[in-house]
Amino acid sequence: MKQFGKRVWTGTLAAAGLLVSTGSVLSGPSVASLNVCTDQLVMLLAEPGQLKSVSNLSRDPTLSSLHEKARQYPVNKGLAEEILVVKPDLVVTGTFSLHNTTGLLSRLGFEVEEFEYSQSVETIAADIRRMGRLLEQPARAEVMASRFERDLAELEPLACSRKPVALFYGARGVALGKGTLAHSAVQAAGFTNMAAERGYEGVAAFPLELLVQDPPDLIILPRPTPGAPALADEILSHPVLRKLNATVTGSFSRPASLNCGGPFTMQAIHELRALAPSLLPCRKAPGS
Amino acid sequence: MNRSRLITMLIVLGIAAFVLSLLIGPARIGPVASIEALLAGGNEAAMIIMREIRLPRALLAVLIGFSLGVAGAALQGLLRNPLAEPGIIGISASASLGAVLLFYTGLAGVSLLALPAGALTGAALCVLVLLVISAAQASTITLILAGVALASLAGALTSLVLNLSPNPYASYEIIFWLLGSLKDRTMDHVWLVIPLMALGWAALWASSRTLDALSLGEEGASGLGANIPRARVLVVCGVALCVGAATAVSGAIGFIGLIVPHLVRPLTNRLPSQLLLPAGLGGAALLTIADIVARTIIPERELNVGVVTALIGAPFFLWLVIRSRRELF
Amino acid sequence: MQLSARNVSVSLSGRPVLNGVDLGLEPGEVTGLLGPNGAGKSTLMRALAGQLVYQGHVEIDGRAIAGMSELERAKIIAWLPQQRVLSWPISVQAVVELGRLPWHGWRRAMSQADRDKCAAAMQLLDVTGLAGRPATELSGGEQARVLMARAVAQDTPVLVADEPASGLDPAHQISMMTALRQLAGQGRTVFVSLHDLSLAARWCDRLVLMKDGAIAADGSPDKVMTDTTLRDVYGISARIGRDDCGLWLAPLGLTEGGMGNG
Repeated sequence: MKQFGKRVWTGTLAAAGLLVSTGSVLSGPSVASLNVCTDQLVMLLAEPGQLKSVSNLSRDPTLSSLHEKARQYPVNKGLAEEILVVKPDLVVTGTFSLHNTTGLLSRLGFEVEEFEYSQSVETIAADIRRMGRLLEQPARAEVMASRFERDLAELEPLACSRKPVALFYGARGVALGKGTLAHSAVQAAGFTNMAAERGYEGVAAFPLELLVQDPPDLIILPRPTPGAPALADEILSHPVLRKLNATVTGSFSRPASLNCGGPFTMQAIHELRALAPSLLPCRKAPGS
Repeated sequence: MNRSRLITMLIVLGIAAFVLSLLIGPARIGPVASIEALLAGGNEAAMIIMREIRLPRALLAVLIGFSLGVAGAALQGLLRNPLAEPGIIGISASASLGAVLLFYTGLAGVSLLALPAGALTGAALCVLVLLVISAAQASTITLILAGVALASLAGALTSLVLNLSPNPYASYEIIFWLLGSLKDRTMDHVWLVIPLMALGWAALWASSRTLDALSLGEEGASGLGANIPRARVLVVCGVALCVGAATAVSGAIGFIGLIVPHLVRPLTNRLPSQLLLPAGLGGAALLTIADIVARTIIPERELNVGVVTALIGAPFFLWLVIRSRRELF
Repeated sequence: MQLSARNVSVSLSGRPVLNGVDLGLEPGEVTGLLGPNGAGKSTLMRALAGQLVYQGHVEIDGRAIAGMSELERAKIIAWLPQQRVLSWPISVQAVVELGRLPWHGWRRAMSQADRDKCAAAMQLLDVTGLAGRPATELSGGEQARVLMARAVAQDTPVLVADEPASGLDPAHQISMMTALRQLAGQGRTVFVSLHDLSLAARWCDRLVLMKDGAIAADGSPDKVMTDTTLRDVYGISARIGRDDCGLWLAPLGLTEGGMGNG
């Protein structure tokens, strides 16, 4: 009897030891994210326990679509010291992040993966898959990516009297032109981006007068930050915008949904498409 | 030069600049169509552009330029220092700080009046500090150095407050506050500044006779029955109203109050009271022209108007300082 | 008008400068104020002109000046300070015209009467030829005359001038005193402080000698300029003589341990 009990006890200890020595019950590497866009993807794809740290910007509702979810994770300010404390197996960040920090982390032996800042809806699925590979969650990533690609492919041109024109306008007269994610999204939604059409690239100053001379059908404005006023909010109440009778203005898409690429970007595209009938006479497009 | 001839010339110059400013903009509307849209209506888009975009901009250039010119001339009269100017001696920067403190921290709620209230207070406090300094030490150098120190401090604190704001755009707006801009201003801004500036002009005009008497020094002026403390209060209030209102709406624009009185003074009999109106008119014209330059000098982009005034004004200031090592006027 | 001080005391920065001074100034005469440096001459003048805070009474024809507004006082007393300040290179004409400020004040334009008074003042001080020149470009003597012309243009019954002749060459000193005598001749009360003993003795109807914040002697030049007063107040010895124009004084040396021969 005593011998049997001893064997069970030893076996249990051995098994426990095995578990402890492999480090975790997880099936993938632990990861820390330094960039708000990589934050979104890791939060969507990582298993609980896999995500050690997200950037502090992930809790900012104007920049991060998953700001609610981000609250459950510890935050970092993108400093190398914080990563040293956390000791993740993998560090993900954006290519435009703090190069000093990422260089230092590489030299210290951490595995650092950089993601390009999403400029187009076309690259989002690939980014999802890549993140899935890195996190060793290929199945989950594949589901998300294929759904995105399918939704994208199913976006038919809007059946309206003509192609509606949209413009992202905000913060002291700045518009989003060619090469931005917002541009790609609004095009996918079936609109023409007025700024891109006029040859503006990136985030560019767009004269208010041009807006008046040739008003778009839709102007998308930023949402003011509650409790923190800035002059940038002035544009929301500019008398000129109120006088454009043929134009609908407002802050339609959820803030931040077009800041980073992810499934929420498709949500934003669908929301924009839904606005079309209120702008122009449109036949309800099938399946949208 | 005959005073009425000078004033007429400056008014003509100002009107010409004003009209030119109305006719220039990214939306190419022909001159005739522009004026028609402004006055009579017609084409809906042209009307909105002219009345809601170009008109407030041109009006503000004139109003702010006038106020800065008059404030500069009055300050120079009170401090008896030809280098005194709201931008250089830190009044504009202090006005910016006051506005930023009250507005971005949400201390004044999100009221439209937060900005001018803060700006007026900041400007008034700065003038008071400078008065105390210049009373203790009458030297030009001391005054200018104190002003420069105040300007630097105010600029640094403005940057700090903006960086502390949770609003993501706030820290970019430092450029507006320190270098000024008339872009996309509305008629609401015009109606806001007019009463404030009118009060400021009245206060400065009321002090002008005493400023004349001060040409003979404080004792001489006092012997002529001048009420010097009252003149100080009037100038402080007048400058605070003029510079505060201007800064609240356009950020800090410097050098107008330096360049214009200097250019205009030799054409008058040099008494401070005679300088006020020409300095104001000259300032209106100069700022309007500077704003036109800011919009046209780089195609497809717009400079901050304060950059243009600084590009003209700072070398001018340097030249004055070098020249004044010999004589001060 | 009669300008009188009764028991006037002034303290500056806690230090007593004037101690209970009594003085009466009459119209129609030039009264000279003399005394060594630090005697309190400028302070007394400032008190009489209502330019600083004092204890005691200063009255014009029995009316206290403390109760008057600054503007009212400026129409009665013209004050010419010792420091010659010109902040801007304004023309001589403009400087003199500043003297009319208390009279036309808020009314922007000057009347013909104002202009006439300015012209008369400039003529009296012989600066009419300098009318268009910037006052800052003039010589010391010319500036002194221009600033005096400003005070004269103020056209007041009382003129109080602090060392108007200092730093002037002899010719300019004489022309300044001549002008002052003319003003007194018009019935004005003229009170000037001087350093030059001879100039004071010869051109003033009455002399007031100050020492250590109090009046040491007061009367006609003959009565005031004596060996005793010169020794007690100035600490000098001088040869005093008389000719048909008046007294003359030639300082010889210091008394009491001085280096000169007494």
